[in-house]
Amino acid sequence: MMNTQLSQISWRSYGRAVLAIAKKDAIHFIRYPLQAVSRIFEPLTWLTPFYFLGKTFAGPEGNSGFAAYTGSNDYMTFILIGALLANYIAAVFWGMGFALKQEMDSGVLETNWMTPIPRSLFLVGQTIANMCITTFNACSMLFFAWLLFGFQIQGNVIYTLLIMIPLLLALYGFGFAFAAIVLTMREANMLVDVSNYTISLLTGSQFPISVLPRYVLPISLALPLTYGFDAIRGLLMGTTTLLPIEYEVGILILFMLITVPGGYLIFKAIERRAQRLGTLSMH
Amino acid sequence: MVQSIVQRSAVSELRALLMIAKKEWFIFLRYPSWIIASLIWPVLFPVGYIFMAKALSGPEGTSLTDFQALTGTTDYRSFIIIGSILWMWMNATLWNSGMQLREEQMRGTLESNWLCPIWRGSLLVGGSLVKVLLSMATLVISVIELRIIYGIQLVGSNPGLLIFILFLAMMIVYGIGMAFASLVLRFKEANALVFLVRGIFMIFCGVSFPIEVLPDWMRSVAMWLPLTYAIRDMRLVLLTDVTLSQLLPDLLILTGFAIFLPLLGYGMFVLAERTARRTGELARY
Amino acid sequence: MSEAIAVPQAPPHPIAQPAQARAGSKAVIVDVRDLRKTFVRRVPDPNAPAWRKWLPFGKRISETYNAVNGINFTIHEGEIFGLLGPNGAGKTTTIRMLSTLLQPSGGSAKLNGYDVATQPTQVRQNLGAVLTGERSIYWKLTGRENLEYFAALYHIPPAIAKKRVNELLERLGLANRADEAVERYSSGMKQRIAIAKALLANPPIVLLDEPTIGLDPQSARNLRELIAEIRAEGRTVLLTTHYMEEADLLCDRVGIIDLGKIIALDTPANLKQSIKQLDVVQLEIDEYTPAITAMLEQFPEIQHIGAHYNDADRVWSLKLHTNESRSLLPRLLEQINAVAGQIRHLTIKQPSLEDVFITLTGKQLRD
Repeated sequence: MMNTQLSQISWRSYGRAVLAIAKKDAIHFIRYPLQAVSRIFEPLTWLTPFYFLGKTFAGPEGNSGFAAYTGSNDYMTFILIGALLANYIAAVFWGMGFALKQEMDSGVLETNWMTPIPRSLFLVGQTIANMCITTFNACSMLFFAWLLFGFQIQGNVIYTLLIMIPLLLALYGFGFAFAAIVLTMREANMLVDVSNYTISLLTGSQFPISVLPRYVLPISLALPLTYGFDAIRGLLMGTTTLLPIEYEVGILILFMLITVPGGYLIFKAIERRAQRLGTLSMH
Repeated sequence: MVQSIVQRSAVSELRALLMIAKKEWFIFLRYPSWIIASLIWPVLFPVGYIFMAKALSGPEGTSLTDFQALTGTTDYRSFIIIGSILWMWMNATLWNSGMQLREEQMRGTLESNWLCPIWRGSLLVGGSLVKVLLSMATLVISVIELRIIYGIQLVGSNPGLLIFILFLAMMIVYGIGMAFASLVLRFKEANALVFLVRGIFMIFCGVSFPIEVLPDWMRSVAMWLPLTYAIRDMRLVLLTDVTLSQLLPDLLILTGFAIFLPLLGYGMFVLAERTARRTGELARY
Repeated sequence: MSEAIAVPQAPPHPIAQPAQARAGSKAVIVDVRDLRKTFVRRVPDPNAPAWRKWLPFGKRISETYNAVNGINFTIHEGEIFGLLGPNGAGKTTTIRMLSTLLQPSGGSAKLNGYDVATQPTQVRQNLGAVLTGERSIYWKLTGRENLEYFAALYHIPPAIAKKRVNELLERLGLANRADEAVERYSSGMKQRIAIAKALLANPPIVLLDEPTIGLDPQSARNLRELIAEIRAEGRTVLLTTHYMEEADLLCDRVGIIDLGKIIALDTPANLKQSIKQLDVVQLEIDEYTPAITAMLEQFPEIQHIGAHYNDADRVWSLKLHTNESRSLLPRLLEQINAVAGQIRHLTIKQPSLEDVFITLTGKQLRD
């Protein structure tokens, strides 16, 4: 009988597979140059209207109204931090959620799932590529913000970067579950679009959540990401936080401990369902 | 000898156009999530700006006077919503009408349509008929929803003038849509083009802020964009006591755009079609 | 009455003559027993009024559908096994179950001793498959990048992978285009990259779903030679196809599947032998009219009537299946002359695999 002598399974070969997946995604990012460029510039098109909106309300003492809500006059830094984090949220919704569906629609998902690699590893590979690309976009955004609006980072940057770790891990854990759910839908565009936008709004990417109506506020407060935004703004801008920063970090860590295994389990459940119903090639 | 049974006439061309519209309607029915989207987005989209404006105006509305000095009103919610409705209409048209030809090209049906002995523009116009109907429906749904959720009245004291402005806006929006469809057919990277065009509108047309706060060079750019006038005039009609004579210069400019843009759109389409036949683009994915 | 599409009769190929059946001489490498798949699908309510179709959110009802209805077959090591059947017969569903993409509803299937349901990873390690052809590879990546990517997914160490990739690119005639994006390749080249990907891990079993579909005759011919070579290396090939002459040429054994069941399984020669009583009377006439159909239907000896227009010779070709050609012919000729005018040409042929198919299913392959 013929032997498949070429496969040599080890931890290293799994690691290589994950890196190959990440590399494949990175190559795709570069080979659609117009899209790559627009992903860097599009956030600016969201930032600019806020800049001018702020100017509309600016009096002789700057934005005193805003300061009364947040404890800081600097609404533009407030918005920029929100935009940076919202960038990661969008990257998870579109980059993880939608990207898997796109592979299914183009026919390539099947081929990937016929290889002897656990299917969840594909999501890990995608996560790595996604995080790197999004971080690159975030840095570009910071650069242009400095160029156009004179934005400068102040405050406790090291601690901020440390907080980003559980925040991002929790977000990408959620991304696993979301990607799986999107796979089951015939038309996912609207779900991804609306979910992404709603979550960004409710977590305070575009405004302090204290301005929300009383019946919406509890939803906002129930989302762990809200505390992520809040903690980072507190550290970098000195704004008044909803809870002491240590508590908010604790919430983020708890969130991470739930969504990472939870996302994986949901993904496995839906993978089994896809195999039972044969939905992989249907679109 | 075998004879073709094709009999071209104005009636048969109209029938073809209506058949295209019918086809678009049935395809649309297969994606009913549009209905949910049209219920959600009119309410969801302006939320960011409205609540940021609320934050900027302060807990007691102390900064509202600064807003009023520039805009002539303290009703920042209506101000923002008017801009956002028109911007969303533009955005939807870019995606729907703009992508129409490209989608046919990707599906492979563009060629089969253009093999038929009908007026070339039927595909574009027939498809747009359905889109116009749907956007009218979206507009009505939006007005009702915004009334219920935000308590905003978007009818005003001069409905006739409002309808006229809306009609001009419709001609402008679909003219841009047709031009865009031709661009997309040629350049194929539709996503990037949509982001670019709607980004420009977002930044320059005063969607969520008055263009008076723009620096001079940006304001000059804004004055060349039709949406700037449409948004400004609708705000003036709905939120202030502007008279017809005060609005006339703007209306003339809007009318000019409303005539020019559809013609431009159709002209670009004819050019794109000729180029496609020369280069073989029609069949290319 | 159906109009057959002209099936080009390929000349016998010097290389890819099917070998004698190897059944019984080598181990069973694919073992399928009572494999079943049932789907539940939502369909529009047939009782809904006509106007309802103009509105969204129409009522849908559930319907179960047996795509594969209990099939059994074995494939021996080193065989080329063909699965033939029209669209909707269950070929693709069967292939998907064997490649572990689809979970069976019942029965079992083992590839190289591994069960598809309980040992899918091991099955994938032993399998190379090309299912969706050119859609199974990344168009924005180059040929080389595609192969390197999949090599990593098959746990092939980098040094071996690099050699293997070069080897396959060379073998499949893609070496000089290897560093161009796949979107620039022709259909034939895309298909070859997909096959290279399937061969990367040196699998003992290769699954090919309609490998030559959409290819021009020369590319299809080259691909068939390649399939024969793959078998000559000692691999086992399971392929599905629409093309009778391809199955006849390449396959050691053929399973004919229709409506989710295997209705015949044997070597092509034996299958043709099974309907050897059958004669295929082929007539060429100038004009074909409904009157001719009516006339032909009067003959009880005629089991099947097929007619198609032959563009090359500009005649109508009638193909009649009968077990009693001797008694039929004199009367037939007399009648045809009266109704259809002159007969240009007449042959009596031995049945082909396509004729076997028609006899067994009553359908043309492309129905």
